[in-house]
Amino acid sequence: MLNFLKMLATPEFFYSIIRISAPILFATLAAVVVEKAGFANIGLEGLMMFAALSGSLVSYYAGSWFWGFLAALATGVIMSLVMGFFAFKLKTDIILVGIAVNMMGSGGTLFLCKVITNLTEGKAMASTTGLITRSLCIPDITIPLLNQIPFLGRVLSGHNLLTYLAFLFCLLTSLMLYKTPLGLNIRAVGENPDAAASVGVSVMKIRYTAMAFSGLMSGFGGAFMSMAYAQGWSLDMVSGRGFIALAAQAMGGGECLGGMLSALVFGFAQALGIKFSAIGLDSNLASPIPYAVTILGLVIFALVRSSRIRKQHSAAALAKGKAKAES
Amino acid sequence: MKKIFAVILALTMVFALTAVAASAQDNVYSVAYLVNGNLGDKSFFDSAEAGLEALAEAGRIDYITIEMGGTDEDQPTWLSTLYDVSESEEYDVIICGTYQMPDYLKEVATAYPDQKYIIFDDNTYVGENQNVLNLTYKQNDMGYLVGTFAACMTTDTSLDKINPEAVVGFVGGVDSPVINDFLTGFIEGALAVNADIKVDTRYTNDYVDTAIAKEYGLSMINDNKCDIVWGVAGNAGNGAAEAALETGKAWFIGVDSDQELTFSPDLAALTLTSGLKNIGNSLIWVFDELDAGNVYWGTEVTLGLAEGGVGIVTDKNFDKYASAETKAAVAAAQEAVLSGAIVVDTAIGANAIDAVALRDSVRP
Repeated sequence: MLNFLKMLATPEFFYSIIRISAPILFATLAAVVVEKAGFANIGLEGLMMFAALSGSLVSYYAGSWFWGFLAALATGVIMSLVMGFFAFKLKTDIILVGIAVNMMGSGGTLFLCKVITNLTEGKAMASTTGLITRSLCIPDITIPLLNQIPFLGRVLSGHNLLTYLAFLFCLLTSLMLYKTPLGLNIRAVGENPDAAASVGVSVMKIRYTAMAFSGLMSGFGGAFMSMAYAQGWSLDMVSGRGFIALAAQAMGGGECLGGMLSALVFGFAQALGIKFSAIGLDSNLASPIPYAVTILGLVIFALVRSSRIRKQHSAAALAKGKAKAES
Repeated sequence: MKKIFAVILALTMVFALTAVAASAQDNVYSVAYLVNGNLGDKSFFDSAEAGLEALAEAGRIDYITIEMGGTDEDQPTWLSTLYDVSESEEYDVIICGTYQMPDYLKEVATAYPDQKYIIFDDNTYVGENQNVLNLTYKQNDMGYLVGTFAACMTTDTSLDKINPEAVVGFVGGVDSPVINDFLTGFIEGALAVNADIKVDTRYTNDYVDTAIAKEYGLSMINDNKCDIVWGVAGNAGNGAAEAALETGKAWFIGVDSDQELTFSPDLAALTLTSGLKNIGNSLIWVFDELDAGNVYWGTEVTLGLAEGGVGIVTDKNFDKYASAETKAAVAAAQEAVLSGAIVVDTAIGANAIDAVALRDSVRP
């Protein structure tokens, strides 16, 4: 037990929480913004898979991570706009579009990977692990001065560029939603599209914008998976992080900060599970810890919300009764 | 008109029958290979394909390969493809493999008792269908060699990245008998070299999540000072190699195929060796036996070192980094297993030992 606590008190433990949370945070931000715009994008998982594949392939062909990174973002945005086209223009149920993208994200990426590598490398590859070296991955950033601080320096410095961007984007997204006209429009469209349209807001444009934003964030998330976390793309490598993000969005009350905290809770649970395995806890108990925590979190969130609603209701009823008595 | 038609039909059928009989006499088997995944995996499926290709080039079989896809969405097609191929009656032998297929195969093999099937790397329903041959591999033999090698290397501090602690790591896919069979051999091989060695075992509970395997690898290297990690978790196992690369404090050992050949240069550079499962060799072995008149339908055949079913890579990095003593120890272990002087315990079947107890006894 002492040994276990000693493992938890290491900077590596806290460092790993941040790293595990980062890709989930990107996807959570995507989920938060589309939810604010009044719909759900459950295709985040698939979008991340496509972004992860295109990022790692382009970085290999271009010989530079930067172009791969841009390709991942572009893939996310383009795919999400196509999703938007199906959902908004052709009136397909957006949940079905999301399911389709997730399915394609699993089988379709493998198909593309094999076709493309067969054309360029002369043999079909089922993953890009054999092509990608460390130098084709997005670099880690050592922050001067911060890295001098004992303990804290090792927790906060030396993360991947994208990890810092994830937390930066959390702040920026929050500002965008609450401090800019675009954010106001997104929220207005989400609350009541007819009211927003009546004051001249283009509902379609706002929905497409929100969709593109979710694609951009998925692009970051996908790039993180194949170009920072793991070295290269392989089948189903996103492994449900896009779905966990949907839970994190709900758990965080649909807000950026809440979503970030939820992502961190998930990261903490996952890191804790790994440390438990280090002292010999059965893997069948250790690996579901993050999911158990997610369910627990959702239950607590639901309880808190329902009690708040009940309080509001009773307050409203009291006020109503009071008003009646006075009249 | 009808009569002529019937006669023609009857004639073609007779010709067809004689044609089949003729081909059987020449011992050119017609084979269908159903891949419940995709070629290009550089592992099981490619290995089996290579074996069939070699047989076809030698003029011993005609075969087709059907890639059925490996995702959840593809799974419903596996059963229907098995039915279609069996119903066509065009094939002498239908081959499929892995732990995902036995349920489908059992259903179809029961429906087509005259069709012969081979399933590799699975023994779920051995003997339940008299037309199915189960091919399995002594991964415990392979594990023993890898364990011997890892235990020799982990204390060879003259090599870069090796720390003095005798701790080696094992990242498994799922806590299951097959994976634990690798582990049992690995631990026994390691203990044979060094009775005080510790083996840190983790399971990712997943074969695809490379990122989580990397987290496990980092924890093994940082928390428990593993300097050699064996990844036995499919694609996810590569995450352990990435952890070794990121920390710069450990070496990696691959599995199933020679991963040194398939990794990118920086990961290949720290892959010391790989434990091999030679599916292709095992299929060639089956056809050798068939030609020799030995049939094993309805039974399980387990191929070990002697039959070329499993092995260990001993060139490239192995040759470059292993000391003369290490090479001698691995060669001696191989000899001992081949001659039967050492019988490696297994975690599968009736003679299974308690792999969990063994695992816990060497935990760091």
